[in-house]
Amino acid sequence: MIMKLNSQEKKELDKFTKFLALKSTQIIVQSRLGEKVSTACKPQTTGTDWSILFQFNLNINDIPEVLVEGKKILNGEVLSSRLPLCIEISLRTVEGDHMVLETWYLSLSPEQCDPTARIIHTIYNHMGILLKSLVSVSRVIPAYKLSRRQGPESFVICYRMYMGEPLQQCLGEGFKNICVGQVCTPLGTFALSVSYRTKMTISPTQTGRDNSIMLKSDHFNTHVCTQIGEQEEKDNTSSLSDIMKIGAFADLKKKTLEYDMMMPSPPFSKIFKEKLSPNKCPVFPEAVNKEMENSEKYIDSSASTHTLEARMDSLTMVSTNDDFIMVDLKTPFANTNEKSELGKFYREWQSAPPLQAFVDVTPPEELDVAKQLATFESSLNEYDSVVQSLCSSVNNS
Amino acid sequence: MNARSQIFELTVEGRQADEAVASLFHTVLFHRSLGKFTYNDEGSYSVGTVGYTDVDCDFIDLTYVCCSSPSLEQTIRREINCFSEQLRGNEGTGMGQISLEFFQKKPSRWLFQPECIPWEVWTVRLELITLNNEGERQVCREKVGEMLTDKVLYIAEVMNRHDYLPKMPIQSELETVFDASYRDIQPYLFKVNYSISGPSSGSTVGSTMKKLIRETLSF
Repeated sequence: MIMKLNSQEKKELDKFTKFLALKSTQIIVQSRLGEKVSTACKPQTTGTDWSILFQFNLNINDIPEVLVEGKKILNGEVLSSRLPLCIEISLRTVEGDHMVLETWYLSLSPEQCDPTARIIHTIYNHMGILLKSLVSVSRVIPAYKLSRRQGPESFVICYRMYMGEPLQQCLGEGFKNICVGQVCTPLGTFALSVSYRTKMTISPTQTGRDNSIMLKSDHFNTHVCTQIGEQEEKDNTSSLSDIMKIGAFADLKKKTLEYDMMMPSPPFSKIFKEKLSPNKCPVFPEAVNKEMENSEKYIDSSASTHTLEARMDSLTMVSTNDDFIMVDLKTPFANTNEKSELGKFYREWQSAPPLQAFVDVTPPEELDVAKQLATFESSLNEYDSVVQSLCSSVNNS
Repeated sequence: MNARSQIFELTVEGRQADEAVASLFHTVLFHRSLGKFTYNDEGSYSVGTVGYTDVDCDFIDLTYVCCSSPSLEQTIRREINCFSEQLRGNEGTGMGQISLEFFQKKPSRWLFQPECIPWEVWTVRLELITLNNEGERQVCREKVGEMLTDKVLYIAEVMNRHDYLPKMPIQSELETVFDASYRDIQPYLFKVNYSISGPSSGSTVGSTMKKLIRETLSF
């Protein structure tokens, strides 16, 4: 039996539920950032009454991006009618493999309600304990250890939020369920649970199966972000003109010497740029479409446009035959004949074959033609006399 | 009224003992601590917030959460250290138990000491083992981590049953329910007890347990 709540009580309960959901998302996402969390006890609370009330007496730092994303998902509507709320944590490797590690979900069972629960004290305190349990439990689930080992060179942990039943089929065989805790209210029982993967092997079939948008959990970590950004930039523009990096124990003086000796315009610099384009072009159209569709869902939209521009640049660097410079391969242990044959064969097929009629004709050069014309002009009288003599001989005959 | 009693049994290497006990006690205390109460003139009070800190174990594959209160952490560490030193000492059998007991005080009557009534007891029973090489130690490190994971999940389960907790007291009786001696946090009143099985006691670990349970339930 659902006890009738007056409108004020209903409103309060809805607010508590909303903040329980928002704080849960913060705790879960922060626990997967790969860093140890430490917040201070605050004996004296400051701020407005409402902001203190919705902390559940637990000092949880809010990451603004996660808060915005959470509010977007909740959409300002009454949460209890739209539950479950799911927070999916997944792993993405540098190679692009993707694996869902766990799904946390806040659900409501309307049939199990506690009509005697008084809103302010009991429910509020129970929600506080539930959040504490969530903090404790999130550290002992397998994904926690993985998240502590994440890095831009190996894999990153991502999260996404959605409303609806948890997609447990992504968790592979033998996944486990744990109920973190529950709170009985006159509306029903709110339960916070997690389903997590036990088999950690990435299979190729999982790659690219899920096309929905992923949010990197270390996105807001500005330090990591700039590092990745810089790294990509360096890869794209690497050329011989870059100043060489100095080793850890190298002599600083040597650096200036090397810089002075650097050639002003490096030969074959085009080769280095063009090397990138064939790899990038095939994946480009798909990637751009996807990014354009989903760009609104990114936490930081400027970041996505930045990558888009970078890809546009890479697209313009399409290699053509004219620019191509053939470099003869010096294959180890190969004799010289084979080398030239390969080069010859390649050149032969690079352009259309010449017509047989022109095989023996040496191509005229500009200077030769002018010279020839000059000699022809100078001996113009000679030609005239020849023609006249021919004409007279015809008349004579 | 009977106190709720939970008993955890663990087999660990000597150097893991402190961390094993600390991880469980701190998880319990995190749930059983509130923000500091600040009373104002009208008799109403505001409640502070509880901060938390992740702790990586050195000898166990585990990270646990404790309240961000150095003084509370020090109290617990001191108690566990005393227990661990005796447990690992030459005189013991390598078996012992330590318990975290939450209690409330009945207001003292004339001449009598206030009566302490336990309402929840968490007991960790340890048995020490000796490992021969680093390979075994690595296995043990992971195994104890897994065992403690199960215990942490169990603690969360018990906490979310929302069983009996002492009622919020009026200001004058605050210290009959809470330990108000900490500057930054307000845990429910608790004390730590421990016992070590001596070599002569032989099979008395069980009887010590029975005695302890009898003691905790006899009110």
